[in-house]
Amino acid sequence: MQLHRDRDKFEAAGVSLAVIGQGTPAHARDFIKANKVDGLRILVDPARESYEAAGAKIATVNELLGPRVVARGTTSALRTGLFQTRTRGHPAQLGGVLIVAPDGSVPYAHLADDASDNPPNDEVLRAAGRAAKSA
Amino acid sequence: MPLGASRRRQETRAPDNADALAALVVQDLDGNDVRLGDLWADRPVVLVWLRHYG
Repeated sequence: MQLHRDRDKFEAAGVSLAVIGQGTPAHARDFIKANKVDGLRILVDPARESYEAAGAKIATVNELLGPRVVARGTTSALRTGLFQTRTRGHPAQLGGVLIVAPDGSVPYAHLADDASDNPPNDEVLRAAGRAAKSA
Repeated sequence: MPLGASRRRQETRAPDNADALAALVVQDLDGNDVRLGDLWADRPVVLVWLRHYG
């Protein structure tokens, strides 16, 4: 997930960006340090209730380690250094992205179908811009 | 199952609205409670759920 690297672009588009992880605050601080994203709004949900409410899923083994993930995900993750350290939290819990408007509507959703399934930043940015205009 | 993986393939279930999310409380880096609904009270928010930290 690379959206946090475009935080300034989201702010410029008129939306906030918040990242939710499943570890502890200490894990989140490590994440910030490792990814050089000081100032990013990062929240923790060790019970993963918000994952459930967002509609994210638990992957199968194939969705974590299958050929599609190896081809698309693992190499990308290694390149960006996002997965440098050992897994923390539920290893099969997948994530995703929702945009929520002030009226509580959800104009954009992309929930990961496997471990390599992240939406393109441009797609999320465009949706964020539309949401800000209609808010 | 290894890694706590699901035996059966699951479908994602994107919500039509954020009602179920709004009341949930998570923590910030200092351990303070944050009500999720407060995140989109003033303007839209892009919420990113990470797979895991590392």
